[in-house]
Amino acid sequence: MAEKPKVIEKPDVLEKPDILKPPAPAPLVAYPIEVVVPEGRQQTPAVGQRASRADGRLHGLGQTKYIDDMYFPNMLFAKIKRAGIASAYIKSIDTKEAEAMPGVIAVITGRDIPCNSFGPSLKDQPVLADTRVFHSGDGVAAVAAISEQIATEALEKIKVEYQPITPVLDPLESLKLETPGIHAPSPNIYGHKIIKKGDVEKAFAESDRVFEGTFRTQMVEHVPLEPYACIAHWDPNGRVTIYSTLGRITLGRADVGRTLGIPMSRVRIVATVVGGNFGGKNEIRAEPVMALLSKKTGRPVKCVYTRAEEFTSSTTRHPLVMDYKTGVTKQGKILGRKIRLVLDGGAYCSWSETTLGKACILSAGPYNIENLYAEAFVVYTNKTMTGAMRGFGAPQVCFAYESHMDDIARALGMDPLEIRLLNAFDEGSLSPTSQKLHSVVVKESLLRAAKRFGWNGLGDDNGAGVKA
Amino acid sequence: MACMWYPIGFTVAANPSAAVVKVNEDGTATLLTGTVETGQGSLTILAQIVAQELGIATEDVHVVSADTDATPMDTGAIASRTTYVTGNAARMAAEKAKLTLFEVAAPLMGVKPTQLEAGDHKIFVKGFPQRNMHIGDVANHARVVSGQPPIGSASFNPETLALDPETGQGKPFGTYVYATQIAEVDVDDETGEVEVIRIVASHDCGTAINPMLVEGQVEGGVAMGVGFALEEEMLFDSQGRHVNPNLTNYIMPTSLDTPEIEVDIVDSYDPTGPFGAKGVGEPTLVPTAAAIANAIYDAVGVRITSLPATSEKVFKALQAKREQQPKQIGAGMSRDGAAGNSAPVQ
Amino acid sequence: MVNVTLKVNGETRSASVPGETTLLRLLRDQFNLTGAKLGCDVGDCGACTVIVDGQPVNSCLMLVGQVDGREVLTIEGLANADHLHPLQKLFEHFGSLQCGFCGPGVIISAKALLDENPDPSTEEIRDALGGNLCRCTGYTKMIEAIKGASCILRGEEVPAVKSA
Repeated sequence: MAEKPKVIEKPDVLEKPDILKPPAPAPLVAYPIEVVVPEGRQQTPAVGQRASRADGRLHGLGQTKYIDDMYFPNMLFAKIKRAGIASAYIKSIDTKEAEAMPGVIAVITGRDIPCNSFGPSLKDQPVLADTRVFHSGDGVAAVAAISEQIATEALEKIKVEYQPITPVLDPLESLKLETPGIHAPSPNIYGHKIIKKGDVEKAFAESDRVFEGTFRTQMVEHVPLEPYACIAHWDPNGRVTIYSTLGRITLGRADVGRTLGIPMSRVRIVATVVGGNFGGKNEIRAEPVMALLSKKTGRPVKCVYTRAEEFTSSTTRHPLVMDYKTGVTKQGKILGRKIRLVLDGGAYCSWSETTLGKACILSAGPYNIENLYAEAFVVYTNKTMTGAMRGFGAPQVCFAYESHMDDIARALGMDPLEIRLLNAFDEGSLSPTSQKLHSVVVKESLLRAAKRFGWNGLGDDNGAGVKA
Repeated sequence: MACMWYPIGFTVAANPSAAVVKVNEDGTATLLTGTVETGQGSLTILAQIVAQELGIATEDVHVVSADTDATPMDTGAIASRTTYVTGNAARMAAEKAKLTLFEVAAPLMGVKPTQLEAGDHKIFVKGFPQRNMHIGDVANHARVVSGQPPIGSASFNPETLALDPETGQGKPFGTYVYATQIAEVDVDDETGEVEVIRIVASHDCGTAINPMLVEGQVEGGVAMGVGFALEEEMLFDSQGRHVNPNLTNYIMPTSLDTPEIEVDIVDSYDPTGPFGAKGVGEPTLVPTAAAIANAIYDAVGVRITSLPATSEKVFKALQAKREQQPKQIGAGMSRDGAAGNSAPVQ
Repeated sequence: MVNVTLKVNGETRSASVPGETTLLRLLRDQFNLTGAKLGCDVGDCGACTVIVDGQPVNSCLMLVGQVDGREVLTIEGLANADHLHPLQKLFEHFGSLQCGFCGPGVIISAKALLDENPDPSTEEIRDALGGNLCRCTGYTKMIEAIKGASCILRGEEVPAVKSA
């Protein structure tokens, strides 16, 4: 005999009807309407033109619709509960009290997700953490309610029992083989790359001087002005439409199809103008969660990250520890360079493999170096997952190799511009991976910048307002 | 100063983009692309590329983007690849539509399709521009008479070669860009505070499809670079919890911290890119921190080896430097301060 | 619940909302004026800047009770059916906005500045924008556009901008 469904007694939320009211109809905003009809010969050729952006006018009028500006009838608002603990087993999640709150329509956890893992290369990232928490910003449950405030309050009512594990926070610590694997049985070192050319030890033996330096960079976040946002809703044919700030909708559609276990033809992802990406919105975040909440409630569901969640729960830039050793002649020509990079790969792989590759390839700098040994590792730590961010490792290694270059220049008594001109790529030079380079203009950019700046070699050491 | 090189596209892995161009019956056009506009102005650039190929104006091209139902696949606005990869796809798609127009126009003008060119809203005979037809007339004829609507569809993927697993040798990217940035800083040697006064940025982007948007990217990238060099840092406590997940304590450049930025675009042409273009989105941020670190060294002689170069770090380094320098004490100074044969005090 | 009546872009509007509602939420959720944006909700980023009785404020920090009976100007109130405001015109022409999210806040801060100081220097402009965070543009083209707009409002010619 079937069990009678349990009825949760809730105070009648319709006592406060105002809270369910949709916003007033959009006001008539005045703006001039001009249809641009370009004359022949006036606007061609198009390449090289300082053409105005099509969205420039909309931005200035405040008429660009970002995800958070969209409203659908009967829409619910969702918030995600964040772990707040860097490393732990999840022993239990109790959502009963949250579900019973007036105004809360649905609550889901990682268990409700058909395929709870995704990632651009290694699929080690859960949509919602189910059994383990790997960083403090991991999502453990999601609530859909009739207002954002009620959803946020409901998060407090969700009780999660954790069994803490000691977190590993230092990438150099994580590099050691005896440190327990954070994602055991996978090792902590989840990526390794070597670039080898010539014989670097022989080059050091032949060098007049050998220089060493260690450089470190920090974890930073993209801070797009628009926080991550998405809205999901289903049509009667079992097709889900997701509006999202995703920068990669083709990949997003594949990921949503996979995590929800539905064919890709039943998924539609629409991105609007995004308020800044810089790499932080390149993989799915809350889309599958919103899709499931929307399916469960039968209503559109919107989720907008808070600014805090942008920091704790979206990707960041890899901190790097970089060791450089360079052998030069006394005229300043580089004979050999040895590099070791350790990338702090955060809690999940995300875009670390691409970053590892780029950082390793770029680490030698735009210089002709015949003898090179560059080795790079990426390791797990219990910090926010590191992923794509403008540059993929290049700003970090550039900081290292250019600081190192200036140190060498000063030790040899050379002008920093001269030592670079002596070593930089030319048209047809071979890169560290022996690729023949075309359209090379490093030296031109050096000379142009120096001329424009008014470069006059080494500056005076008087401590204020000096040229560098 | 700091110079750098940066690749366009994904490391070895395929990262194709597809595009569809449809020419309307009056000669204006629509471009369908799966890329997402994230603020950098990519849709404008793509419109300019299509307009150039078809010989019409930028405003004549309407771009439809970012809908997995309606637009063709795109690997995304990432790795500075949109101008190069999606741009090439858009140009090739426009070229296919244009060739349909040439096929339709050729018999009407009594020439072969290979003798035709497009420009100034006209299809004309190469070398004889006075023999022409308005592109709208050709497009309309194509639809209502020839029954060949001008639609072009194309995709592009940069040519790469996988890297050898032992030595890393191979061809990981289709093309690279180069740049130099020089920073002028003012360091207060009492507090260690660094102010960036001016940055000259000389960037290569191949052909600059829209110089105004390139300048915008350089200015934005330099501002982000200043933050990376001097201010921004996500902090964690000993338990791995975030200390500053907010904009009050995560210091980011404001209009008061951003220096005067001079942008210089290096003349360059890449035959593998659309009309010689490469890309510029990420490279703008790459050399800034190094240029600032080197400028600090030039100003006060301290080498900061870990970012961000906060005023605390610079101050500590200055103190350490002062302690190392030998103090020279004046000899024979009389009480009224007149020195005898003293050496100057550092 | 509190009842508030205020003038928004010249029109009298009323609403009945919980007392803890901010002016930002009132504008966005009740009046559907989505120009002012939610970037941080705690007054750090300036994306929510609107003008209240002539002063630029972070609308996420103002409660509805504080704005009862006052006059509010949002980005939607700058243009009219015939013209864009010179700031909007030049921001478009110079390419001063990229993703556009900070745009309404910046333009409103600039308007407040120009209302008070019709001929601001670069330093004064940087100061006025100090509370508006922008991640995309580096502010350079915004400053050029604001200078240009101040010329238009003073009836002078806009100086040409040197390009790269």
